[in-house]
Amino acid sequence: MPDPKSNLSIFNFKENQLRFLLRAGLFFLPVVLLFIIIELLVLNIPASYINRSAYFEAEKESIEIAVFGSSQVDTGLNPVYFDQTSISFASKSQHHDLDNAVFTQTLHKMPKLKTVVFELSYAHLEIPHNGADFWKNNVYLKYFEVNAFNRATYFKDKLIYISSPRLFSKQLTDYYIKKKDFSGFNKYGYDSLNYGVIFKNLNYNQDAIDQLPIELSGMENLRVFDYNVPYFISMIENVLNENLQVVICTMPLEKNYLKTRDPSVLKRRDSILDLIGKRYAGVKIFRKEEDTLNYNPTDFRNHNHLNPQGAEKFTKELNEFLKASF
Amino acid sequence: MLFNSFDFGLFLITIYLIYWALGNKNRVYQNALLLAGSYFFYGIWDWRFLGLLLASSLIDYGAALQIKSTSSKIKKKTFLWLSITWNLGVLFVFKYYGFFVDNFTSLFYDDINSNQYIFWNVIIPVGLSFYTFQTMSYTIDVYRERIKPTKNLLEFLCFVSFFPQLVAGPIERARSLLPQFKKDRVFDLEQSKDGLRQILWGLFKKMVVADNVAIAVNAIYASPDDFGSLSLLYASTLFFFQIYCDFSGYSDVAIGTAKLFGFKLSKNFDVPYLAKTVADYWQRWHITLTKWFTDYVYGPIVKSTSRSYAMKSVALFITMMLIGLWHGANWTFVMFGFIQAVFIALERIRVPIGKRSYSLAIGLNNAPFLVNFIYTSFIIIFSGIFFRAADIQSGFHIIERIWSFIPSDNFSLIIGAKVLVIPILMIAEIMTRLKPFPLIKLQQHLNKPVRWVIYYALIFLIIQYAGPKEQFIYFQF
Repeated sequence: MPDPKSNLSIFNFKENQLRFLLRAGLFFLPVVLLFIIIELLVLNIPASYINRSAYFEAEKESIEIAVFGSSQVDTGLNPVYFDQTSISFASKSQHHDLDNAVFTQTLHKMPKLKTVVFELSYAHLEIPHNGADFWKNNVYLKYFEVNAFNRATYFKDKLIYISSPRLFSKQLTDYYIKKKDFSGFNKYGYDSLNYGVIFKNLNYNQDAIDQLPIELSGMENLRVFDYNVPYFISMIENVLNENLQVVICTMPLEKNYLKTRDPSVLKRRDSILDLIGKRYAGVKIFRKEEDTLNYNPTDFRNHNHLNPQGAEKFTKELNEFLKASF
Repeated sequence: MLFNSFDFGLFLITIYLIYWALGNKNRVYQNALLLAGSYFFYGIWDWRFLGLLLASSLIDYGAALQIKSTSSKIKKKTFLWLSITWNLGVLFVFKYYGFFVDNFTSLFYDDINSNQYIFWNVIIPVGLSFYTFQTMSYTIDVYRERIKPTKNLLEFLCFVSFFPQLVAGPIERARSLLPQFKKDRVFDLEQSKDGLRQILWGLFKKMVVADNVAIAVNAIYASPDDFGSLSLLYASTLFFFQIYCDFSGYSDVAIGTAKLFGFKLSKNFDVPYLAKTVADYWQRWHITLTKWFTDYVYGPIVKSTSRSYAMKSVALFITMMLIGLWHGANWTFVMFGFIQAVFIALERIRVPIGKRSYSLAIGLNNAPFLVNFIYTSFIIIFSGIFFRAADIQSGFHIIERIWSFIPSDNFSLIIGAKVLVIPILMIAEIMTRLKPFPLIKLQQHLNKPVRWVIYYALIFLIIQYAGPKEQFIYFQF
């Protein structure tokens, strides 16, 4: 007698279909399991955003200064040297669109916020924005509940490994196989241990540094410039509308890097800095890019990134600047 | 929703499970599901253009029925031209209007800004050129009495919007795809396995080869003046592989996906770097587009003329330049098509020697592989410079820089050892050139553990070495 319940099933798979599904499932099961294991392993690796997120959760209601920027700010600013409670949201390759998303979506959590620091590097205005596919969007969603995807998100958007398999595979190898020390992050997420050691390896010898090839970030791109400038200005206006103070900083650069900058790109960037400085009274410009007097090779890890010593110097200077300006 | 995205994976699994759960007997429900899925798939990009897709479908559906139902030749022609006018009109409005206004104003007026004649600034709907050509060929075929029009609207809507091939082909003909919506789909275990294998192979080509190669091409083409001849030649050569792996990778995923649902789509690529002549190249590259233009443009022109070499050449130039223009509203694409036409025309010239006549095509067909490879690669790579360049001047400028033998002091592979993936791909495809794709029917040659190792290795390569996610190049067309 046929099973009367069989007709009630909403599924209508044939035997060979079920066999295919089963085999496909069996085939993909190890891949899925491997992904889960890898994800868990990645989450266990110490990272700046983990410390930063924990710090943010603990201190958000007392934060007075929020700093945004790219790797130049990430490596060149250590909030430990600020007098006021502060946080740095800067990270490698982070552009203004992500800065803006992080600022607008974390602002309501920082009731005491007074000052916002943005970076405007030499090439910033002619490098395309990060966009909705940037891998750090996953990190910001998972750790700061910031949605930079410009769309509704779902569980996959919080997965970290899949956001950049290549980068995290390297981290997995460094941490679990090569046993590299990842313990250098302070509570602000500043890494004082694992930084590029290019200049250090040369014993900060100026002659040797002069021979190093320079990787100039960004090339002339007027189309991007036309888009980025109004975006940046509107970002600043949004911050000012919240009755907050704005500082735009340029980070110190090593003298060889300064020489190789494209004059046209530089001129356009400087004209925008001048324009903003004149147009908005609430905006202060902190120019350190060409400060070769206070910053020497021993303050740099490479041509355009400060090392912990340089970061201490820069942060203290910025701290004094803030006290004097506002 | 890109084929190489997690989102598409989830979408595919969901639709697939529901589709087969409905069972073979519920073909109408399966079609309804495919239609809903296809419209969802398209609407994710921009839901506003769903109306355009639906309107194109309804107009061609109605026009074809009217053509069939009337015996008046004038009425038949009227409905045919209604369909053609609508489809070409949509293409013109969304894709070519700005281009024509720009050129018209610059040709006749020196002091007028063409922007004042551009009344709207719309984005080009994804896949517009693909689905308008597909649906237009349906009406033409009905008019030519090659096929009978369908009365089933659901099946016709599915034919126009079938999601695996909706946004970048293959451009299917109604006589091939439409009947597949009319008959019950039988689940075929081997076809399903081959579908998955073809998807895997397509993703490998797109994500590991095309997207990595794109890094070098984009870097060099962004500022050609910063690079010497060797670097520019390197980038131009890589661009051929980028566009091939990008588009044929897409086609493989499309064909593989269709197989999972019990459908068979047309082959779109046939190892183009094995082409002996430029004409042969076009029998191997974007095959469904070449066939479309041959059937609906080249063929009719030749048939209506004296069929002399001169008239065939005129038809050839018109066809190839239209193929170029099909890719986008830019003179660079027209130039690309023009160069192809020049060489195909040269290949066809017959020179009588004694009692026999010879042509370049005959010579090349009998030449060693290396000669064919150098000849076709040279032409395709150099014409491809215009395909990639922002404008005609840039294209000529790059060619000029290459021929000037400017030293490439800063020459770098940019993508390092990853460039080796190209010879590996070529060897794999040449060794399996008689198959639709290298992984097909692998079970006939390898046992399961070895096969699974190969599949896992490909998955590993895709995850680990995928380049930055780039939109499929042909989506913009």
